[in-house]
Amino acid sequence: MSDLNITGVEGTVAIKPPPETPKLPPREWLKENLFSNKFNTLLTLFSTAILLMISRGLLSFIFNPERQWGSTATNLRLMMTQAYPEEQYMRVWVSVAVIFTLVGASMAIWNAGSRVTLRRLGSFLLSSGVVVNILTLLAPFSGQAKLIWLIIGSAVAGAGGTLLRVSDKDKNISSLTLVVATLAAAILSLWIVPFGHHSFVFERTPRSMAETGTVALTTKLPWTIMVVIGILAYFFGKTMTNRFPSKNLRPTIIGIWFLTPPTLLYLVLRDPDFDMGHVLNTDIPIFLIFAIAGGILLSWLTRPTTGEIGRVCAALVLLAGFGMFFTPMRMIIRILMLLLATFALAAPTFSGDSKKQRRYVLAWIGVSGVITWFVTAVNTPSTIEVPGDFFLGGVSLTLLVAIFTLVISFPIGILLALARTSKMPIFRILSTWFIEFVRGIPLITILIFFSIMVPLFLPKGMELSEVSAIVIGYSLFSAAYLAENVRGGLQSVTRGQHEAAEAVGMTTSQKTFFIVLPQALRVSIPPLVGHCIGVFKETSLLAIIGLFDILYIARNVIPNQTEFLGSTRENLLFVSLIYFFFAYQMSKASQRLERRVGLGER
Amino acid sequence: MNETENTETSASTRDLSNAPDMIVCEGVSKWYGDFQALDDVSATIKEQEVVVVLGPSGSGKSTWIRCINRLEHHQEGRIEVDGIELTNDLRNIEKVRSEVGMVFQQFNLFPHLKVLDNVTLAPIWVRKKPKAEAEEQAAALLERVGIPEQADKYPGQLSGGQQQRVAIARALAMEPRIMLFDEPTSALDPEMIKEVLDVMKELALSGMTMMVVTHEVGFAKEVADRIIFMDDGQIVETGTPEVFFSNPTEDRTKLFLSQIL
Repeated sequence: MSDLNITGVEGTVAIKPPPETPKLPPREWLKENLFSNKFNTLLTLFSTAILLMISRGLLSFIFNPERQWGSTATNLRLMMTQAYPEEQYMRVWVSVAVIFTLVGASMAIWNAGSRVTLRRLGSFLLSSGVVVNILTLLAPFSGQAKLIWLIIGSAVAGAGGTLLRVSDKDKNISSLTLVVATLAAAILSLWIVPFGHHSFVFERTPRSMAETGTVALTTKLPWTIMVVIGILAYFFGKTMTNRFPSKNLRPTIIGIWFLTPPTLLYLVLRDPDFDMGHVLNTDIPIFLIFAIAGGILLSWLTRPTTGEIGRVCAALVLLAGFGMFFTPMRMIIRILMLLLATFALAAPTFSGDSKKQRRYVLAWIGVSGVITWFVTAVNTPSTIEVPGDFFLGGVSLTLLVAIFTLVISFPIGILLALARTSKMPIFRILSTWFIEFVRGIPLITILIFFSIMVPLFLPKGMELSEVSAIVIGYSLFSAAYLAENVRGGLQSVTRGQHEAAEAVGMTTSQKTFFIVLPQALRVSIPPLVGHCIGVFKETSLLAIIGLFDILYIARNVIPNQTEFLGSTRENLLFVSLIYFFFAYQMSKASQRLERRVGLGER
Repeated sequence: MNETENTETSASTRDLSNAPDMIVCEGVSKWYGDFQALDDVSATIKEQEVVVVLGPSGSGKSTWIRCINRLEHHQEGRIEVDGIELTNDLRNIEKVRSEVGMVFQQFNLFPHLKVLDNVTLAPIWVRKKPKAEAEEQAAALLERVGIPEQADKYPGQLSGGQQQRVAIARALAMEPRIMLFDEPTSALDPEMIKEVLDVMKELALSGMTMMVVTHEVGFAKEVADRIIFMDDGQIVETGTPEVFFSNPTEDRTKLFLSQIL
């Protein structure tokens, strides 16, 4: 057919490279970009003046001798984990190590990182050196400090300039190497420069910062180990990629990522005091009964030949699940019953040959096992003893609330969006009302309601910690907004896609799961990431209801320490840097994700 | 597409009078609000028959063809596909849809799936075929429509003609007994129309029952067993290509032909 013509054309036409755009000399570049006409000149001068004033103000704030930067340096541990007991501190490091392992392995498995040309690195160093020098000239430094900073800036700029001139056009370096080198330099500085002190051992002279306690309470040795673990995990991931196909490896790692937050929280950090007798007599038997009976039921339901009677069975299981809420019954049984009903209802969608059946049954056993374990762990008392209500605080509380809220609210939000666009009026009306209702209430009201009122409404004998109650409330709030974002994506899926899926005979759930949702979620990545960043930052409202999140510690705890009275501003600046760090990482991740799924290209 | 080919490939010389009925429409009517899109449409299409539906735009030909696999609901009359009547019963609709393949004007490939997955998705999850078997079949179908080398690309990386051929392969993967084509070449650049028509021609000669809404008169003359001409939601004239193009009876048909020929 036409392929023949195409090859013929390719054979005759030589490919001509596009002409290189000539690089403008600096003077002309300036003229073209900054001083092209009178108005632009005015704008350039005006914004330069503003920039200089802001930098100068910020620098004189930071380097003012009155600033008590010791307050943040000394209280780093308080800011990260609040009052987590010292003798158990190893648990924190184990958690960090698990995360570093996962990050390292994932980077290898997803082939993260790109190549950076040495020239680009050189121009980056050159410009940052110049910026350092300009800032040094602006800063209110004494003569000697100014000189040192000027030398540092010139050295960086000089190194960049040399790199720019010497290196070839095509020479490049892996961006991962750069990141690791930067990290290693930062860790090395911990060993040389004495910051990162952890306990109040100074007597009148805040400069003498000593490290106290066990290895776990210091930072330099643990952080060094963490970086080494990360690098080792990277190479481990590389060997795994060579050994296993990525279509098996990647889902496994994603699964581990999802299991990590609850595992770290409930098993590592919370150190539950399992009552082994109860676990062996009750929890494990319940799980086994559900796993086996449910597995048999589901393997029958996923058989392609099981027709209408399968749907009836699934509906009966659902009915039984609801019925259990009206009889005295263990919570775990009720939850597993509802879960089984969900799996049974979805079974016809995923039915197929024996391989598909086996996969579905395995998914059921896995999910029910995780849920059983999760419920058991939640119901087991913690052995960690802390003065406050909750054993974590600071950055770890902020991250914990944000991660759990997002993980819980994503499925709820997607379901709400599907319900709101569904053809069935009852789902549509309920979901629309829920979304509109929740969106009409300020977040702080929901947080206060869930922290104070919900414990009062709970039936006798049921307890819910304040943080759990807040995470539930926050998740519902977040789900309502998420649903609207996802709905936007759902509506962007064209009618033709629905029709094409229907025309090949897909059922509504197959169409939703295989065709509509993947496209809708892909379109919604930018608003969804915006939402994630919002959820992360708005955890700062926890400070208002008196939880020891990082903002509360920075604003109300540290400035009241006798050593650091009135150090609010320093701490707030530091806290905003922490928020910025995480938010910026999320934003970067979103950009990479968008590029990977090719948003805007197809 | 030219006249000389007509004599050697015309399917209209076949005698289909004894073949069983595949699609039966009796008095089908449909309204969009107050506008009547289909007005008492009755027609019977035999097994292996190739029917081309012609007509000016807005004449209801797309609406009719979309009623046949219930992408649109008819409000009056009866449609029976391979002995199954189309009603609101979901099971009947699913059964009919898995017997009827459809090719759209805008291709409607799934942009997030590779070409191979576009073709295998429905056989795996609707027909419940094992994955390996479905992939083998998909490779064979892509070979048949002439693009075996594009299996690992995404639809967005293909030309319009290639995309439409993938869409045909996707429909064929369900092993349908009937194929519906809703203006399959209207969104294509002129030089790509032929490659799609060639595939459709091959399909018609292989004995597939086909109903084609198109403006390609050459294709109609060459391949069709029967031409149905529609206007204002009604069937105006029916006939074999020879009679229809050379000796139309109705004035509206003559007017239409004088405009397009």
